[in-house]
Amino acid sequence: MGEHQPTAPRRVVLHVGAPKTGTSFVQDVLWRNRESLAEQGILYPADRFDEHFLAALDLLELSWGGLEKQAVGAWDRLVARVRDWPGTSIVSHEILATASRQQVRRAVDSLAGGDAEVHVVLSARDLVRQIPAEWQENVKHRRTVAYRDFLDKVTDPARQGTLASWFWGVQEVPDILARWGSGLPPEQVHVVTVPKPGAPRDLLWQRFERVLGLEGLLDESALADARRRANPSLGANETALIRRINERVNDGVLVGDDYRLLVRELLAHRTLSHRRRTARVGLPDDVRAWAVELSDAWIEELGEQRYDVAGDLEDLRPDPQGTEALFVDPDHPDEDAVADAGLDSIVMLLSEVARLQESERRLGRELADTRAELDRSRGLWVRVRRRVVRAADDNALAAVGLAGYRRLRGLISRSA
Amino acid sequence: MSVPADYEQAAWSWTEHLRHGGTRTWTDWLSSGWGSDAVVPTAWVAPGAAQLEVVRRLATVSGLDGPEFTRLADLVLGRSAPGRGLAHQPLSWPDRPPGRRFGAPPVDPSVVPEEELLRVAVGGLAELALQVPVARERSPRRGWLSRTSDVQVVGAPVTAAAVRRRLGLTARRSGRASRVVVMVQPFDRLLAEVWSARVQRGAPVRWPGFVRRWSGRADLPPAADLPGLARRWADRVGAEQVHLVSVHGDPATAVSKALGLPVRHASAPLRLWDLSPEAVDLCRRVNAVLAVRVDQQRHRAALAGLMPGLASHGPGEGLTVPRGRRRWARSRAEGLAEDLRSGDYGVHGDLGRLVPTFAGVAGPDRGEELAVALSACAGLGEEWSGG
Repeated sequence: MGEHQPTAPRRVVLHVGAPKTGTSFVQDVLWRNRESLAEQGILYPADRFDEHFLAALDLLELSWGGLEKQAVGAWDRLVARVRDWPGTSIVSHEILATASRQQVRRAVDSLAGGDAEVHVVLSARDLVRQIPAEWQENVKHRRTVAYRDFLDKVTDPARQGTLASWFWGVQEVPDILARWGSGLPPEQVHVVTVPKPGAPRDLLWQRFERVLGLEGLLDESALADARRRANPSLGANETALIRRINERVNDGVLVGDDYRLLVRELLAHRTLSHRRRTARVGLPDDVRAWAVELSDAWIEELGEQRYDVAGDLEDLRPDPQGTEALFVDPDHPDEDAVADAGLDSIVMLLSEVARLQESERRLGRELADTRAELDRSRGLWVRVRRRVVRAADDNALAAVGLAGYRRLRGLISRSA
Repeated sequence: MSVPADYEQAAWSWTEHLRHGGTRTWTDWLSSGWGSDAVVPTAWVAPGAAQLEVVRRLATVSGLDGPEFTRLADLVLGRSAPGRGLAHQPLSWPDRPPGRRFGAPPVDPSVVPEEELLRVAVGGLAELALQVPVARERSPRRGWLSRTSDVQVVGAPVTAAAVRRRLGLTARRSGRASRVVVMVQPFDRLLAEVWSARVQRGAPVRWPGFVRRWSGRADLPPAADLPGLARRWADRVGAEQVHLVSVHGDPATAVSKALGLPVRHASAPLRLWDLSPEAVDLCRRVNAVLAVRVDQQRHRAALAGLMPGLASHGPGEGLTVPRGRRRWARSRAEGLAEDLRSGDYGVHGDLGRLVPTFAGVAGPDRGEELAVALSACAGLGEEWSGG
């Protein structure tokens, strides 16, 4: 990876969020194509998929369900690799959006190392889609907060409590850019807007390609895997089901990885998010009106700051009322639809249990075979030794061999 | 998003006032001239309201002054609060917003929520705990008088550790013993001691979450599963050598009477401290920071330096389970007591005491916890300055 000879100065591109704006897709593409990119002068410094997440946990001193233990020293390790790379490096994780000004200063200074040009990238989507998406993300992380309570918390100007403060930390676009962009010229601060629904599929990626400096470096096949893994969002009834499941499993029934694998991955991502013809989670009229007004202020502010915009700030202006499906309240879902989603979940869990049972049976058979093999080989060894001992009584050569074996065994036992 | 110069001047001059040990509030500072001739350094970024308020309150409890206090203040002001919470809140401004249309709302530092002040204090405390060297406590040499192979004390972990220390009994990992004491406590206190022990060993789990998790399970934490402990020891030493001591009053005296052992002068280092609920919770918050900052060995060393300061506040009010889990706690305790009665163990005291009366607090008090945090910060700050 280090053989590339750059002609341009060292450059660091920091993609700091926001969640639910295609960040996982970008990270997946960068991770899967890191070797090919390195050959073309672009470093995505990671030996494991979540390496930048761990570095962000370290920088922000965030605990995260036990993962933080693996994050000790992760930021400094990331910095060392970036500073060793002579070309462009890309760092991407959406929780970086919450960094305070002091943490931003540490991050930028450490990565720049006095000689690199630092660029900050923030991808952004309109609030009317972001607010429900954040609630769903909370539900997929064990929370049991009702939708209306969530909306009340995030619309409260005081922003108190972890839920509201986190939401605004990762979603308030002008403030995130003010924190991350302070000290940088506006042309080094980039906003990637997520296109409105119905836009061409590749439009968002093309915007990312431009600001990350990847234009012409990756072909269609490089994106295919990431496209297959992209998770569609949950519907209103499906999210209501997960919330009810959380209420039942949070009392010690599922802990740590079991919840992540069974509820988030198996049920939410692999089962419920693939259900079709289901109501999406939207905003009630009062919150929608508030979000539209706030979006206007954001767009005005971003325009004044003269940041580089990949896309169009108008993408952040929510669509006029009436173009979306009617609001479905996930706190009072369609019970038939929830029951149907529950049946789909049971079927998926049963097939998973059957698969695990088959796996257990196969492992049981393999274990039995291995034991039998061990017994057979032990039996053979014992028979050989007996024969040699017997033969040693009459045969001098066998006696010498046996004595040598015993000496050797004694030496090994002593050294152990 | 330009910030008005006079706001910057006011914020900077107040910050300087606080860095040098001043204790005037922001409102007071604004109403009395606030150093409008101050020259604000280029690229200076105002600390958050919570950081400044913590420094102000530290000055009221710290024995440091002059450059030593400034060093401690800079440590607090120079780092962000760890974990999740409000980003730096700007200081409130009387006539207009302080130049920010977006971001966390401005606030009068004197009304910043205690939770936010705690986050800042915990960050400082974790930093200090990492920087203050810990004198390594050495276990006393095992003499011929120690009864290491004779008596094993198990059950409520904090009480058991205190009893072992007072009676000069060294805990043995080999598990050899001829007599075993199972410390019986009201079930809520027993759980609280298990929680305290886990936190003191580095766990970041909250009390309500700890209770909720165990209340949904069929099993119990090993140290709280008294019948399980008694059975396992009975298999080794015989049921007649297992003594259930129901604590009422001083536990070491109770065990001393039950087994006829003299109480000795405690010389061994304390392995688990009898902390107040607030001190345990504070330790839990520090654990969350240390877990992401350093490896386990440094984490343990940092906690060892922190503990004496936390313990100096005493054990406080006892902790009981939150209201919604009391039915579970009562029924679980009755089951445990019945199970213990059915064994042929030696019983000293009333096993009915296992059933909780739910006296005590259902969780740490945040205001009190903040006071413990500031006092611990001040204490470690003095050690850090070589005081």
